Amino acid sequence: MATVTIQKVTKAFGDNVVLREFSAAFQDGEFITLLGPSGCGKTTMLRMIAGFEKPTSGEIHIDGQLVSGGRTFVPPEKRGVGMVFQSYAVWPHMDVFDNVAYPLSIRHTPKSEIKASVEKVLSIVHLSQYAERFPNQLSGGQQQRVALARALVAEPKLLLLDEPLSNLDAKLRESMRFEIKEIQKKLGINVVYVTHDQTEAMAMSDRIFLINRGVVQQCGTPQEIYNSPANQFVADFLGKVDFFKGEAQNGRIIFPAMGGQSIPYSGGRRGRVDAAIRPENFYFTEDGVLTGTLETQYYLGDVDDCRVRVGDTLVRVIANGYVHRTLREGQQVCLGVRDMMVFPDDGLLEQMLEIST
Amino acid sequence: MQTTIQTRTRSAAAVKLMLLILFFLGIGIILNGVRGQREYAKSGFSSESAYRAIYRLHRETESVWEQKLSPDLGKLTESERQRLGDIAAALLADSWEDLKKGGGETAGALLSGAAEDEREALTHKLLYATFLTAGPKVSTANRKQIAALTEAEAESFRAALLRCVLDDRAEAPAAAAKLAGELTGAEREAMLMQVWFVSCGSMEAGVTEQVNALKKSVRDKAAQLDAFRMIARGEVSAVQQLVAGHGRTAILIGAVLAFNALLLALLMAGDQTWRVDLKWIVILLIVDFLLLFQLLPLLYMLVKAFFPEGSFSLETMRRLHTYPLNLDAVKNTLLAATASMVFGTLLAFPLAWLVGRTDLCGRRFFRGLFVMTYMVPPYVGAMAWLRLLNPNVGTMNRWLRLLLHLSDAPGPLNVYTLSGMVWVLTSFYYPYAFITISRAMEKMDPSLEEASRVSGASPLKTVFTVTLPMMLPSLISGALLVFVSAMSCYGIPSIIGSPGRVHTVTTRIVEYVSLGQQGLNDATGMAVFLMVLAVVILFLSDVVLAKRQYITVSGKSVQPALVELGRWRIPLTVLVGLFAVLVILIPFATILLTSFKIDVGKSVLAPANFTLSNWRTVFGRVETLNSLKNSLLFASVTATVGIAIACTMSYLLQRTRIRGRKLPDFLITLGSGTPSVVIALGLIMTMKGNFGINIYNTAYIMIIAYLIKYLMMGMRTVVSAMSQIHVSLEESSQISGAGWGRTMLRITGPLIFPSIAAGWFLIFIPSFYELSMTALLYSSTTKTIGFQLYEYWTFTSQPMSCAMAFGILLIVMLLNLILNRLTKGEFSI
Repeated sequence: MATVTIQKVTKAFGDNVVLREFSAAFQDGEFITLLGPSGCGKTTMLRMIAGFEKPTSGEIHIDGQLVSGGRTFVPPEKRGVGMVFQSYAVWPHMDVFDNVAYPLSIRHTPKSEIKASVEKVLSIVHLSQYAERFPNQLSGGQQQRVALARALVAEPKLLLLDEPLSNLDAKLRESMRFEIKEIQKKLGINVVYVTHDQTEAMAMSDRIFLINRGVVQQCGTPQEIYNSPANQFVADFLGKVDFFKGEAQNGRIIFPAMGGQSIPYSGGRRGRVDAAIRPENFYFTEDGVLTGTLETQYYLGDVDDCRVRVGDTLVRVIANGYVHRTLREGQQVCLGVRDMMVFPDDGLLEQMLEIST
Repeated sequence: MQTTIQTRTRSAAAVKLMLLILFFLGIGIILNGVRGQREYAKSGFSSESAYRAIYRLHRETESVWEQKLSPDLGKLTESERQRLGDIAAALLADSWEDLKKGGGETAGALLSGAAEDEREALTHKLLYATFLTAGPKVSTANRKQIAALTEAEAESFRAALLRCVLDDRAEAPAAAAKLAGELTGAEREAMLMQVWFVSCGSMEAGVTEQVNALKKSVRDKAAQLDAFRMIARGEVSAVQQLVAGHGRTAILIGAVLAFNALLLALLMAGDQTWRVDLKWIVILLIVDFLLLFQLLPLLYMLVKAFFPEGSFSLETMRRLHTYPLNLDAVKNTLLAATASMVFGTLLAFPLAWLVGRTDLCGRRFFRGLFVMTYMVPPYVGAMAWLRLLNPNVGTMNRWLRLLLHLSDAPGPLNVYTLSGMVWVLTSFYYPYAFITISRAMEKMDPSLEEASRVSGASPLKTVFTVTLPMMLPSLISGALLVFVSAMSCYGIPSIIGSPGRVHTVTTRIVEYVSLGQQGLNDATGMAVFLMVLAVVILFLSDVVLAKRQYITVSGKSVQPALVELGRWRIPLTVLVGLFAVLVILIPFATILLTSFKIDVGKSVLAPANFTLSNWRTVFGRVETLNSLKNSLLFASVTATVGIAIACTMSYLLQRTRIRGRKLPDFLITLGSGTPSVVIALGLIMTMKGNFGINIYNTAYIMIIAYLIKYLMMGMRTVVSAMSQIHVSLEESSQISGAGWGRTMLRITGPLIFPSIAAGWFLIFIPSFYELSMTALLYSSTTKTIGFQLYEYWTFTSQPMSCAMAFGILLIVMLLNLILNRLTKGEFSI
């Protein structure tokens, strides 16, 4: 059980700044996820906590003890953390038991104790009957569990997971997700988890740090991040969202690209804005706020994925699966809006587009 | 549909028929070759070229008869003709009398057996044939005098000659007067007839050559009679002279043809497709080449070692065993190779780790430096260490004496010892292990080490518990590579070992070869020992490497965190730096400095000891330039042919599932693992005509030897490049409408071009400075730069050879630079 305090950590490789003034405090028993697109700096942050990279500036404390910063640097082997690598890094020349026992044998733990600990942790990851197998006789999921067991066997204060599920197939990934969460709850340890998969992050985390281009965009619980994104990037990264440029005035937002149609708005912003609306927050209704023509609809079973032309804009609407029974393509429809996020039109959206293309 | 199937069966039948015909054609040629050989064995001719000479001389005789002899006789009266015929028959009987003792028909019997109307012609033709080799001597001056006559003069000259023959009181014409001067009776007649023949015969060089060939190959008298008869009667046909004159070659060609037809049939039967695929032809060609020039020599040597005189005997082995020098050589070879392997690996692993995994200062620089040593000819290093560690005048020894306040006695170090040789071998072969280990280390997932660190192990502990065990297969195969290379090295032992009487198997082999037939047998015994050892080690290495296939899921390509050496960083950097200075800088500097000296024993800075004349002299000599030209030519041809084979093989290995594609691959691998001297010795023993191919003392034999030894270097490079190009890249080109050729040209070619260029240089560079094989295969016109240097070093002056060595070094570095530029830095040695 450990707390991790990170103070203004910056990391640069030459001129390339991959992480800028990262500050955070992870509490005891918390499940923290560092989330972001690839190359955002999340893995670098994790490797700095582990001690594989040195911060260019800033400090990292584990349990109140300074481990990186100033002239102090505690090497990885002295930090008492567990880590699971993306490639599992299970040693092919040792069998499962030796792999898992390794951290304890390094600490010169008595043989009998090692045996007990390894057996216990193998049963936690459901690998008890595989102790004598070699890694090349195991499936990817099993190797992954060996890596997890090895990270847990020395009862670390802190467990670091670097995209541990990204090499597994979809089904296995889903079940491992809950297993890891269960283990974390049972042992009550502090976990720092790195992923680019937002669903994974949403499902497991107590708190998410959403990082983009080396800068933390938002930090909060999954609900906070999903429902009240701090900016356009966060809104876009989590779930599906479409942006519409408009003008906020007199309790409405007017969209020039929709032929001047408008949506009521009670928020405090005025002037040019980006309105972000998730497709599932549109709905078909008799007395909607927007009118347009239903252009296409794709029936996906549980939902009906539609495109509605409003003025010059094509609006994506994810409606429930019954809609296709009543609506036909080419028909005039009215759309209501359940929820909407409004950001100032500060050019961030254009920046994001530029990067993603 | 029906028709296609029919056509296919029909064409399948045609192919089967063709293969059958080819097979029997091959068998037929073999049988003819065997017959020719048998005929030859019975004939008493001492060389098969007799048949060719006889055939050519028969044609010459016929044309001389038609154009000159017969018209000349036509001018005589009937009775004169009759008398001339009688004289000729008498002369024939006379000269055959001497020869006939060996047996055979008499001239009289031969002539009386002939038809009436043919008798005269036969008599003159027989005499002509006889006098070609066994007649009275006509000096070259006289021949020239006769040849100088004009057509009309010659005609009257010949008419006068014949008159003289018929009338012994007649005056001989001017050109023959001196020749016939003192002679009387039959001797005079013989001489005049001979002069007649000479003035009728053509003076073409070809004819003289054939006459000489005939003289050489029919020393036996009975055989001589046979030869004359065969010339006169045309008993050797065009086909016969080919078959009997090239019996071995015919057997070889027939065997290759029949073998290929058989192999092709087997391949097609296995594939169930009776279609002639171009790929098969290519495979067959490569296989034929390798079987002939690689496998045949090796097998022949194996046979020769245990069946020296045709029956099983361990005589060769016993002789080798009882001769203490040979036992020493074997002992020295094993000791030196083992020690070099141990020391080389002990050096290579820490160096590879320091350079690859830690924050050692200048790690990239050091890496490049250590890898570069790989391309330095080993004999250059040997020369440098000789200069440094000579017990009396070695530079390093003199410093050590000064530093340690030793007396002026020789020492303290002596390069002319086994340990001296081990040191030089180690310092030149550790890069082999270094490169093998470094490559494997780069491929290893760094997370494996990081997982150990985060589990609580220190960097050093991680090296021993994770890195070393993971590297073990590469470590072992690198070590074995050092062993085999050190064991088969000739350059270093020949320069260091020979003066110090430290013999090795390779130096013994080269010495034995120069000792004639007995020596060749002994050399074979030694070579077989070397070969068997190399093959066993190659096999071991393969077994070890096969286990390397650890499954490692590749993670994202994170730059591995470098181990921080902390307070050890500077001391370790200094240590590695010192090693580089000792192993690379000092030897090269020695070579360079020595090349400017007049007196080798003095410092280059000593007064009046600096000169550029060594460089000027060496590179001004015609022999140097010739050998340089030879080296460049041979190496370019080798590299170009080699890379063509390499590309073909890569395509076959990577892009087809054709049967039998592994066979040439196996042979090529075997060839590169065979010690150089063994390859060369095998070629010497099989390519001097006894198997129908005679390329002894030519450039071909050297190029073939280089190809066998270095082909694999090029092939591996191209194969690995092609394996990295996913086949979908080619498929998407084909789906875009490009044919096979265009796809190769536009997609695959450009993508693997850097590797092709690299492969070319990888074959070129070692062929360029090769010494071990050249030392056995060179002839006076095919000396190479490496061998020329060796000769200068042994027989001329050390400063001059140092100039040349440094020149070679510069060329190799230049080539490396070109390679680097050409492949945009992707490849360099």
